[in-house]
Amino acid sequence: MALLKPELYGVREGSRLAEDPEWEDVVPIAHQEPEGALAAIAYPEEYAEAMAYLRAVMKAKEHSPRCLRLTEHIINMNPAHYTVWLYRAANVFALNLSIPDEIAWLNGVALRNLKNYQIWHHRHLLVEHYYPQLSLQGPSAIAEFAASEQSFLRDILAEDTKTTTSAELAAIETLLDDDVRNNSAWSHRFFLVFSNPAHSTPGLAASEPDPKVPQEIVDREVAYAMAKIRLAPQSQSGWNYLRGVLVKAGRKLATVEGFTNEFVKGLGEDGEGEDVRSTHALDLLAEIYAERGDKDKADLALRRLGEKWDRIRVGYWEWRRKGLEIGAEA
Amino acid sequence: MPGLRPWDDRDRAGLALEVAGGVVPRTLTVTSGPDPGLRPATTGPIPSQTAKTDPITSPRGAANIARFPIADDGTWNNAKQYFITSIVPGFPPSAYMPLRTKGSRPQKRVAFPWKMTTTTTPQQAQGQPSRSPPSPAATALPRVTVTDDDDDGSDSVDEEIVADPISNLGFMIPDIFTQLPLIRDELVTKTSIEQDETVEACLPFLRGDDDFFDYNEHGVPELDRERHIRFLRQCLGKLPGRFVAADASRPWFLYWCLSALTMLGEDVSSYRNAVIATARSMQNETGGFGGGGGQLSHMATSYAVVLALALVGGEEAYDVVDRKAMWKWLCSLKQPDGGFQVCLDLTPESPAWKEDGSANLLTGVSDYIRRCQTFEGGISGQPNAEAHGAYAFCALGCLALLDHPSSCLDIPRLIAWLSARQYAPEGGFSGRTNKLVDGCYSHWVGGCFPLIEACLAGGGATDSDGTKLPPATESLYSREGLTRYILCCCQDQSKRGGLRDKPGKMSDAYHSCYVLSGLSSAQHQWELDEPTDAATGGDGAATAAAEPAWTVFPYLDGPQVFAPKDRVRPIHPVYAIPQQNVCAIQQYFQAKQGF
Repeated sequence: MALLKPELYGVREGSRLAEDPEWEDVVPIAHQEPEGALAAIAYPEEYAEAMAYLRAVMKAKEHSPRCLRLTEHIINMNPAHYTVWLYRAANVFALNLSIPDEIAWLNGVALRNLKNYQIWHHRHLLVEHYYPQLSLQGPSAIAEFAASEQSFLRDILAEDTKTTTSAELAAIETLLDDDVRNNSAWSHRFFLVFSNPAHSTPGLAASEPDPKVPQEIVDREVAYAMAKIRLAPQSQSGWNYLRGVLVKAGRKLATVEGFTNEFVKGLGEDGEGEDVRSTHALDLLAEIYAERGDKDKADLALRRLGEKWDRIRVGYWEWRRKGLEIGAEA
Repeated sequence: MPGLRPWDDRDRAGLALEVAGGVVPRTLTVTSGPDPGLRPATTGPIPSQTAKTDPITSPRGAANIARFPIADDGTWNNAKQYFITSIVPGFPPSAYMPLRTKGSRPQKRVAFPWKMTTTTTPQQAQGQPSRSPPSPAATALPRVTVTDDDDDGSDSVDEEIVADPISNLGFMIPDIFTQLPLIRDELVTKTSIEQDETVEACLPFLRGDDDFFDYNEHGVPELDRERHIRFLRQCLGKLPGRFVAADASRPWFLYWCLSALTMLGEDVSSYRNAVIATARSMQNETGGFGGGGGQLSHMATSYAVVLALALVGGEEAYDVVDRKAMWKWLCSLKQPDGGFQVCLDLTPESPAWKEDGSANLLTGVSDYIRRCQTFEGGISGQPNAEAHGAYAFCALGCLALLDHPSSCLDIPRLIAWLSARQYAPEGGFSGRTNKLVDGCYSHWVGGCFPLIEACLAGGGATDSDGTKLPPATESLYSREGLTRYILCCCQDQSKRGGLRDKPGKMSDAYHSCYVLSGLSSAQHQWELDEPTDAATGGDGAATAAAEPAWTVFPYLDGPQVFAPKDRVRPIHPVYAIPQQNVCAIQQYFQAKQGF
């Protein structure tokens, strides 16, 4: 990474703006908290001063290198300050600054503040702004930029495996290999596979069947989900994924009945005869039975969930049983 | 001051809380101590700990001793077997509500005769699914392994064995809240380690092992109102410098604290002038409210400010809102995809809905929400993201205002997803699949159920095939489980007070608000009465104009594991503030011509 320009990036520690000749011409607007204000914060001096200068330059609609540095100074103290971030973006665009430089700076901030909405919104604004310029330079420039973005995403994912935004299926598979219970990774996989413009219908809800999805992709995803479910059958993520894939493909749930039965033995038998290794399998079996009109078996599965295997959710299982009666009447 | 009774929400708009005759008063007379709802609005001196806990002199302690005499012997082993899972038919819950007091934990506890002779039969349990059903083993098989006191094998957990039968001896705690789940995978990953650690942290609180609390006979501590109130009042005061990170969220502190105080029975109208001044300092001429003075208007902070103004009430507070400017500002946030951005970018290219007269503020909103429902059944913050509890509540609340939720959501899948958020033994809700329980989801997920129940009750809800969905005549989630998680695990037991995410976490204003909102929801039952033609004299226009009316009842089915004095005030299922505050501000603005 090239060194960032010091007139744009970097905060000088311990320097007071009031004593800085660069800020001489600005009259800071001090914070006026009304009498008896609630939840008023006793701002540290440095923060209060920086905010006073920010108010002044924002009011004057100034866009300048010193404003950019001021925003960095405030972001260091309070990265959740959405107003400062938006003002920073306005400066970057008004000064026509190098987007790669700004992204390089942002990467450092992002890695220090993993759970922050602003870093992602700022990135979003930068990329949207940069893309038209980039397209003029041709496909290789776009590919290079995409590669650098992916490299950053790998870095941040290594820091926070829950923040999965990688555009690469392989990266998601790595996350699921590390922890098959990582639901964010499952969720993102679904997006990558089933919202891919190459083979999906735009505008469909996640639960609507999409005839554009090729059968071989459906087969692949069903097989993938099954393999992962076998590792931890009581993890719901894989089951939700499997069910989601079947619905997307417009396939009957019964197409996975054999697999689901691997986890439920002797349903309804006394004593040790009944062996359930996954409540989610039993739940899916209940749906499969209901799907083909076998109301008694569906009812048994739901009853056993409420009685024994998943008692905290008994209210829900009982509601599902009532639904079977209505379904039978219809 | 009847208006302050936690369960009594009679209000001037006539939306009276109806109490089934005699039930509540009976429980009130039986439980100890004065009803805190009858105390003055201002916080009085806190009763001294000795007066509160002396088992002999306090009425509560006396009741305790009188009702549960300690047996001489011979019942010791029997007592161990009665981890009670059942409510005894015909026995009012209040009769076994007295609190056991700190320092008075009996060395030997008796096998209560009625526990020994009466158990809920499976038939009864099936008929009453909202109650915690006994495991079939409860009646058919020896369910609890009784070990000698010095047997260290009692902690070895193998699926169905209750660990540590000594400490929760005598408490009526269904075993699902004291044991590990029946099915556990062997594979260890980061997620399963964190889950196991969470269960381990919660279990002592759920089993009544924690020495700090006074537990009632259900193994549930009381709601420590005084401490929480003090904590919340502090959060509204001057905050120390480390709160700089919250400088863009100050309006939230107003809403969280005022809402939590209100639910705890406090009168917050004394904050009116301060809220008005604070709100004005955050208001922009363009209509919205920012996180503080000089900050850009933001949808979230504007929401919080408006709710805070409604909570303190009064025309002067309502008039702070510049409705015309706010309407324009909201319109400027409208997006072509039907959604909204939360804040206007300072860049000219910000894409907004073209003002060509073809759309209004609400155009495409339902469809946008439809696209936010994920393959899991839950709702995400934007299309194609991960389903998350907070968005489920926001989406349902929004649809409840606009439309019938089943018109654009797959309701059975949403209910399946919401239900799967509740875990045992913790009893609380998680925000996402395979994530940990957190007290705040008591509201974000728990608060969805009144909306779902209303959606089902109308009979208009169907699944994707058009099959009618049954009404939720019983609770769709375990209210007992949620109540236990909140009262056992989410109360900060230090002097600090306040409510929290889970044991080991610090309390804060955010969790205090949403944990109490969840408790309120678990303690009440809401019904939505759609205006009918008969009610409006068959006038179609009047029918359209009439608002559906929500009616609230204390929830009295199933085990009442908390004392009636611990019932907090009900809040409106959509707006999450008391119903009379909603009515008052709506009436004020409806009476105005134009803006």
